[in-house]
Amino acid sequence: MSTTTKAVDMQIPLGAQHISLLEPVKFTFTTQNEKIVDVGSDVGFVHRGVEHACSSKFEFKQVGFVVARICGLCAITHSMCYTAGVEKLLDAQVTQKAKYLRTLLIELDRIHSHMLCLSHTCENAGFEAMFMSLMGDREPVMGLQEAITGNRVQFDYITIGGVTREFDAQTAQKIIQVLGQTQKKIEGYIEEFQNNWSLSKKFEGIGALSPEGAYEYNAIGPLARACGLQVDVRNGLDYLPYKEVGFTTITQTGGDIHARNMVRLYEILNSIKMCRNIVEGLPEGEIQTKVRGKPQGEVITRLEAPRGELMYYLKGENKKVLDRVRIKTPTFATIPAMIEIFKGQDYADAPAILASFDPCLSCTAK
Amino acid sequence: MEKIKLEFDRIHAEIGKFYDKKTWHFMTLNGVALDENTLEVQWLFAKYESGEIVALYTVVDYGQTLPDISDIIPSAVISQREMVDMFGINVQSSEKGLYLDGDSKDHPLRKERS
Repeated sequence: MSTTTKAVDMQIPLGAQHISLLEPVKFTFTTQNEKIVDVGSDVGFVHRGVEHACSSKFEFKQVGFVVARICGLCAITHSMCYTAGVEKLLDAQVTQKAKYLRTLLIELDRIHSHMLCLSHTCENAGFEAMFMSLMGDREPVMGLQEAITGNRVQFDYITIGGVTREFDAQTAQKIIQVLGQTQKKIEGYIEEFQNNWSLSKKFEGIGALSPEGAYEYNAIGPLARACGLQVDVRNGLDYLPYKEVGFTTITQTGGDIHARNMVRLYEILNSIKMCRNIVEGLPEGEIQTKVRGKPQGEVITRLEAPRGELMYYLKGENKKVLDRVRIKTPTFATIPAMIEIFKGQDYADAPAILASFDPCLSCTAK
Repeated sequence: MEKIKLEFDRIHAEIGKFYDKKTWHFMTLNGVALDENTLEVQWLFAKYESGEIVALYTVVDYGQTLPDISDIIPSAVISQREMVDMFGINVQSSEKGLYLDGDSKDHPLRKERS
């Protein structure tokens, strides 16, 4: 007598609240045995109507502070991207010193955001000790943000025309010291992520996207760069001095979880280098220039947030309140690519794959 | 930003002709309410190499149905669903319910609401 096993489709939800998720998102996986064959997503649990609020309740001078509250992790990139758009509409000139200080905060933000993502990757690999170690090493970077801006997160540092504060020589010394310590730690983590079985071999080939797939699904940020695509908005940006401070596009070729981890680790090193160059070569001058007028016309600005391209579309009609504020966040744009990557993977790898996207649902459902 | 106007009945064909996935990065679909009855719909692209931005756009009445372009650009699916929710416009093959409830009568970004 022989028995045959028949593959049966089974639906397994992940989220909206799940032990491996930090934010509310729901993926419904259709599986055959252990393989994921189809994926449904629901990302709208925390929609807050920010676009509507910014074009109805708040004046354009206030909107920079509103959009900073879209996300705790990349608040600075939201306020920068919005402010750059308004400054273009108002034809405002910003001093080189203010541009350097803005870049410094954006890159410090990227360092701690990438460290958070990497720590969750460790947690998903069952490597609790390294999760805690990375979170601990992230703290001094948060401390630098507090020393410069007065706040660890959601610092309203960027304003139309410049920034709100500069720092003294003692703080500059502290920044250089913390950056040096963080660099040593990251070099150690690179060694671990390359050679520790739990973090390297385990993730090689898992959750992979091909370069062709990256183009097909318009992948951005570390997800695209892990596939070898030279996609980084910091290349050729005209309103921040990335070329002057030593920006390099970091890419890998595997397209898998491991490659995404390595992109983030090497990007942290590049951000540290840029921050050091900024502090050591900070130009003289004012940090704020007066800007007059009301926004007129339409503009698109883009910025490389830790998770990829952030885009703002603004339309003003010479009024205090903007006619339209459109915000395209990196995670929102990446969801179709995520769904494609999940297909064909083992269900058991789904939480680790999801963490490797570094999803931000606060941004997605702005 | 360069803007190129599309005729309503040529939207799918013109986007298909314009879009080369290795040249253009599709950023998102954008809607700008012009008045209580009409909406400017923009398909926003950035050139990989230079960062040059192009908006393909058309002006529609809320009663019209936009074509689904996800066969040309698969990642457009999610922003098409967002348009359906936020502006209450119809897009082929796109259902309401990304951010709002599926049976919601609201369309938050229309002029009449603000």
